[in-house]
Amino acid sequence: MPFDFNITIAGSAGQGLQTIAGILTKVLAGNGYHLFTSQDYMSRIRGGHNFTNIRVSDKPVYSPTVTSQLLVALDQESVEVHYQSLTGPAIIVHDSDTITVKKARNIQIVAVPLTKLSNESGSPVYINSVAAGVLFSLLRLDLKELVGFLETRFAEKSPEQIKGNINAATKGFTYTSENYQNIKTTIGTVRKKNRMLINGAESIAIGMIAGGVRFISAYPMSPSTGIFIYITGKARKFGIISEQAEDEIAACNMALGAGAAGARSAVTTSGGGLSLMCEGISLAGAAEIPVVIANMQRPGPATGFPTRTAQEDLDLVLNIGHGEFPRFIFAPGTAEEAFYTSIHAMNLAEKYQVPVFILGDQHLVDSSITLDKLNPNRVKYKSYMVKSGNLKKPYLRYKNTKSGVSPLAYYGQDKVTFIVDSHVHTEDGHISEDMVVAEKLTEKRFRKINGMKKEFYGPQYYGPQNAETLFVSWGSTYGAVRETIDYLLEKKKSVAMIHYNKIWPFPVEESIRLLKSRKDIRVVENNYQAQFNRLLKRETGIDTGEPVLRYDGRPFDVQYIIEKFEKRQK
Amino acid sequence: MTKVNDFHYSGERAWCPGCGDYGILSSVENALANLKKKPHEVLMVSGIGQAAKLPHYIKANGFDGLHGRALPAAFGAKVANHKLMVLVTSGDGDIYGEGGNHFIHAIRRNIDITLIVHNNQIYGLTKGQASPTSDLGMVTKTQPDGVFTIPFNPLEMAITLDAAFVARSFSKDIAFTTKLIEEGIRTPGFSLIDVLQPCVSFNHVNTYKWYGDRVYQLDNSYDPADKSKAYQKSSEWGDKIPIGVIYKNSRKTYLDNVIKPRDLPLIKRETSIKGIESLINELY
Repeated sequence: MPFDFNITIAGSAGQGLQTIAGILTKVLAGNGYHLFTSQDYMSRIRGGHNFTNIRVSDKPVYSPTVTSQLLVALDQESVEVHYQSLTGPAIIVHDSDTITVKKARNIQIVAVPLTKLSNESGSPVYINSVAAGVLFSLLRLDLKELVGFLETRFAEKSPEQIKGNINAATKGFTYTSENYQNIKTTIGTVRKKNRMLINGAESIAIGMIAGGVRFISAYPMSPSTGIFIYITGKARKFGIISEQAEDEIAACNMALGAGAAGARSAVTTSGGGLSLMCEGISLAGAAEIPVVIANMQRPGPATGFPTRTAQEDLDLVLNIGHGEFPRFIFAPGTAEEAFYTSIHAMNLAEKYQVPVFILGDQHLVDSSITLDKLNPNRVKYKSYMVKSGNLKKPYLRYKNTKSGVSPLAYYGQDKVTFIVDSHVHTEDGHISEDMVVAEKLTEKRFRKINGMKKEFYGPQYYGPQNAETLFVSWGSTYGAVRETIDYLLEKKKSVAMIHYNKIWPFPVEESIRLLKSRKDIRVVENNYQAQFNRLLKRETGIDTGEPVLRYDGRPFDVQYIIEKFEKRQK
Repeated sequence: MTKVNDFHYSGERAWCPGCGDYGILSSVENALANLKKKPHEVLMVSGIGQAAKLPHYIKANGFDGLHGRALPAAFGAKVANHKLMVLVTSGDGDIYGEGGNHFIHAIRRNIDITLIVHNNQIYGLTKGQASPTSDLGMVTKTQPDGVFTIPFNPLEMAITLDAAFVARSFSKDIAFTTKLIEEGIRTPGFSLIDVLQPCVSFNHVNTYKWYGDRVYQLDNSYDPADKSKAYQKSSEWGDKIPIGVIYKNSRKTYLDNVIKPRDLPLIKRETSIKGIESLINELY
């Protein structure tokens, strides 16, 4: 039986929502369920209203849904906020000691004394394990798996804490099994298979490591911090140095110093921090220093919504850095795509000696998906530096070549010296005021575009070839748009989509080929000004229909796209 | 000395005749040669300003980056290849003004680089505005009522943050400046050498004579390990200005914490597919 089941775990910050979600998703993924989990949290450490959505299905799922079949309410507010979005027959799990829920048709209420059972297990902090036990019982999962998970997950805790958590989980499970054995769920069974669960932050981080990152610097900023934390955690093991800089200006210039010296370097940031890196990025362009900039978007301007999602920085990354220089911009659509893209990004930065942007957002980095596997051999690390012993002398750091790419060496390689410079400079890197030198230098840099255009893939097509209406996604809107296509195809509509991961250099010819002679083209993006839509029109000269936009800090879902799309159609 | 210095660059230099920068350049060349370094083993990093042109006027590796950002770039280069000897040469506006925040944090990190600040107490490249070290009362086109913002004391700041080596010199005294640069390079950790340097075009107060009348070399009785004495010396500014090693500290350096001396530099390290597979396997 196909099924598509959504679990909402809601409460205030500090109540351990992520612990419950973490246990549940890991076990579901390990059993072969397909998941899409997304986070909605406030910019605060305690209190407020936060929730995690766990969408469970027998087939791959790519986006969040707003309706829910199971709500775990850890405080009263969660009941009030999410009651309306429950679709029957739905279940509400709540702490009967602290929360009241009014009865309604189509709602099954599971009232469990979570606090009491936790206290009986030794401490009020085990409440998450009690809740996990309740969910395991309701979803007909094996208690033994939960116990095994707690044993390994909490291995670093004291034996007393491990025992307490296991007791708490068992109590929650037993209480629910005894009192609520008649509760029905629409979650089906799947063939057992061990799937991995990965979020966008992990996939970008692992991709960067696979792409040979040796130095990473950042100033912590939501929602990019997860990438920086992940790489820092693995730094010693992988021979990487990670430095928390005093500000983003320093972070960027540190990466450029390391890059000029021959170490693959990256920075992670979000809009505000990226703004501070502006001049450094221009230096990367002028001095032709490889660097990867992972910018995870959140709504602005200024502080905006620190913990929410947006695609408002496209115009910024297209233009950031004064003066003119070539760059790459990638906007992966899923955690899977983000992994391979990040390896490419590290390689391409060095191959072309240009800044490479990975443009993600809160929705990409904080959402987890299940995958069968990631293949570290699909995109491999490749060095583009001159091999030691092969350096032609005299070595010219900015040699004017046909491809525009000069041979890349590290300081002192084969006993040569060279200077990396921010001015208009000669082929050997020295300051010049000469107009011919300036002209040739600019042309050399921009000749790289010819090679860059051929790199990495262009837009990806999904759906029937001759569809009348073409939806367009870029970055993290991919998932919701793809599922919109599936939905509309079921309704016998003539629709398809194209997804852009490589945004710059813009794939002009491929775009024109895919876009021309469509009845309607609808770009879906998380911003007000329809930034990608404008880019698409500018680069292809093809007119598009009314874009589907969202700028309230929340990610798209199928329902939202359909409503906006149909409203504009009339 | 008959042998030509390996570091000497014979091309044109775009500095005014009589500029203090020439003395500092000679001192750097001498210090590196005395330490028996080869040009390819050395990296000179700078920001923007007249002083920051120095990496173009010496035979060594160079990184001439952005105004104020020499120290983060130098940090990145040093951790990328800890076998490189990294020197930063830039001006007072660059290091203490635009890059003030990086100055603080580079010292905190105690990264093993040597910072030589060409301190002429004025902005030269932009033609004569006050710098963070301009004395009170100095009149310029942008400070027509005279400077009334108190000057930044780099030595005091560096002592507060326990820099490994804090010294002051005078650009005209090449032999003394050479000696201080050598000592700064030899000292593990962050070394600051603030070199007082006349700007012959725009600073008509702090001239060769002005400095010459005031500077005196600290003698052997002075102990740079004494922090409170170091504070006293660093605040001496007026009729008498001390030059020499003001402060020394032997705390752990940044690299002591992250790299063992025999470790491969970052630039020579590789990541195995097996390692990546282990990360992927953790996600199941």
